[in-house]
Amino acid sequence: MNLLTVAAKNAGRNKGRTFWTMFGASFAIILFVLLRTVLAMWNLGVEAAAKDRIATRHKVSFILPLPKRYAEDIRGVPGVKNVTFANWFGAKEPNHPNEFFANLAVDSKTFFDVLDEMALEPGVKDKWLEDRKGAIVGDVIAKKMGWKVGDRVTLSGTIYPGDWQFNITGIYTATRRSIDRSEFIFHWDYLNESLPERRRDQIGWIQARIDDPSKSGDITKAIDKMFDERDVQTASMSEKAMNLSSMAMLSAILAALNVVSVVILFVLTLILGNTIAMGVRERTNEYGVLRAIGFRPVHIAIFILGEAATVGLMAGLLGLALAYPIVELGMGRFLEENMGGFFPYFRIDKLTMVTAVGLAMVLSLVASVIPAWRASKLPVTDALRRIA
Amino acid sequence: MIPVKYNLRNLAVRKTTSIAAGLGLGLVVFVFASVLMLSNGVQKTLGRSADPNVAVVLRKGSDAELASGIEDAQVGVMLANPGVAKGANGQPLASGELVLIILLDKLGTEVVSNVQVRGVPDNILEFRKDIRFVEGRAAKPGTDEVIVGKAISSRFKGLALGQSFELRKNRPVTVVGVFEDKGSSFESEVWGDVKTLGSAFGREGFVSSLKVRLESPTKFDGFKTALEQNPQLQVEVLRETDYYEKQSEGTSIFINAMGIVIAVFFSIGASIGAMITMYASIANRQREIATLRALGFSRMSILFSFLLESVVLAVAGGVVGAAASLGMSFVKFSTVNFASFSEITFTFEPTPKILGIALGVAIAMGLAGGFFPAVRAARMNLVQAIRGG
Repeated sequence: MNLLTVAAKNAGRNKGRTFWTMFGASFAIILFVLLRTVLAMWNLGVEAAAKDRIATRHKVSFILPLPKRYAEDIRGVPGVKNVTFANWFGAKEPNHPNEFFANLAVDSKTFFDVLDEMALEPGVKDKWLEDRKGAIVGDVIAKKMGWKVGDRVTLSGTIYPGDWQFNITGIYTATRRSIDRSEFIFHWDYLNESLPERRRDQIGWIQARIDDPSKSGDITKAIDKMFDERDVQTASMSEKAMNLSSMAMLSAILAALNVVSVVILFVLTLILGNTIAMGVRERTNEYGVLRAIGFRPVHIAIFILGEAATVGLMAGLLGLALAYPIVELGMGRFLEENMGGFFPYFRIDKLTMVTAVGLAMVLSLVASVIPAWRASKLPVTDALRRIA
Repeated sequence: MIPVKYNLRNLAVRKTTSIAAGLGLGLVVFVFASVLMLSNGVQKTLGRSADPNVAVVLRKGSDAELASGIEDAQVGVMLANPGVAKGANGQPLASGELVLIILLDKLGTEVVSNVQVRGVPDNILEFRKDIRFVEGRAAKPGTDEVIVGKAISSRFKGLALGQSFELRKNRPVTVVGVFEDKGSSFESEVWGDVKTLGSAFGREGFVSSLKVRLESPTKFDGFKTALEQNPQLQVEVLRETDYYEKQSEGTSIFINAMGIVIAVFFSIGASIGAMITMYASIANRQREIATLRALGFSRMSILFSFLLESVVLAVAGGVVGAAASLGMSFVKFSTVNFASFSEITFTFEPTPKILGIALGVAIAMGLAGGFFPAVRAARMNLVQAIRGG
């Protein structure tokens, strides 16, 4: 039995207190894990952006449309492989007006080639192309709304007024986690033909695949330059840059979550530190005895630090063990189903797990440094005389 | 009853432990109060944009100004209805506004962000009476001059007084004034001439929404019925107060939900922290407690005394936390409003109710954390305790 084992066993001396400390600290860890997971998953969209994809939109405002012919013009830019375009349709399901899901009118021939991480069963695309009112929906929203292939669905428009009829012709799944599985996708031609003359042939944004991801900067510049002298100017950027700028709108919220997660660590340190300080104060007498029989100050410090590390480690593991089912069984599924646009995938990642447990242990050690230092420096006679 | 002084001195004796436990509780109160203040700030900021006398007309089915569109030709028909207030020149007091979002460079960052631009008519300052100019002057009607809300003027490139930015290529507008409007969300907008903006963005002949000042709020129902039942119009009419309440809903629900999740886990952790402290403090005082019992104090008064000690600790922490959260009211918080996809600057706005709730949470944490230790103290075996110590 070495010193560290003894130190670890010391944590079992006051079982009640150790248990409550771990339990209290584990709630701080749960909250920390939840917040870090929100932040990590929010970043997932940025990290997982396809490197060989660029997007082009109206330079001044995302609510203003581009002329449809711009998509053809971009197709001719050297380095561009494949081009598609889409409009934000913004309609609602009249029976579920509070259910938000993205609905897009897309260039049906090219959309799933450019966004190839949205996977369709073989043959579905051909069937969809044949049905003018056909729609492809994500598996998450299909399940939630109870839509099946062959169903007729009516959406009521907000940007494009009126009731719009669709037939569900297929369901897509995602081959990448960052993909929103709650989208409703239909033919842009259907939308365009139904609009009055002056609103026709306008598109919301253009997405393109390029040959060489390292050239995305040059290609986006070339596209914007091409349209610079036309009546509508464009802003083109890599998919990653696009995701970053939409994240930036939420930067204050992200910063606030970051701050709160640091405050939690502070509370965690207080809880752990308090327990350690109490334990040390009560055992001062024993430390005196240990010193008297020949243990050196460093041994006393090892006892205290070792016990602190054990409690911290166990608190971290307990917190993680509690947070895991909360995220995997409850919160994660709820967010994926209800806020798929923000969190297409919501699970604790490995880095968060390691950080949480590691920090619990490290902060516990940090909190015990002062009590350990004091206890080891205390003269033997004082320690023996001290009554808790 | 055991004097309260006994408890206060006990807390003072164990300074470090008391401060650590109190600080933990205080931090929870601080975070909780701040979140409530922010959510309140969102509602208030958008709420201040609303006038109870004003009705908002949108195209039927469109939820927000951004998605709505009304033909200029229909505006006259709408304003001919009874109940519409008249301005100084005898014309109806109404404002047909064009709402757009533009991308501007956010100062101090690498990114662009969305700013809401509102095209307003000539009589806007008569319509919105609370607008005051902090710098510069009003824009001349029909020109390329714009005015900017003070909350965003210093945060985006081109929005400071005297600067200019492009609505489209070779179509710059110049900032001639910076305004405030009692802290409303208009302070996060750019206002320009409705015709200038309409032509720059290819939206001639349309407005996004029509704001109508009514003679009194009681005229609203009649006005609403007249417009909504006219089959030629296809519009919906809302009270401006209701409209802005709906606009703030998404963002404030989001902040509240996040705040509640944080507060629940946080407060459990901190209560347990307080409980550990109280258990230890009771364990160390066995002999004292036994003596008190021997002197004739009842179990109930022991229970009450220790519960009180824990609550005092929690309230002390809570007061510190709540006081610190008041400091947050100097912080500006800028985030996207989910209803308009553009950035709005909010402040943390305290109310007595929020501070009351925060202190209530502190007391609840004190009671929760102190209950079991106090029960243990009250049930202590007198003989053993006095012998053991």
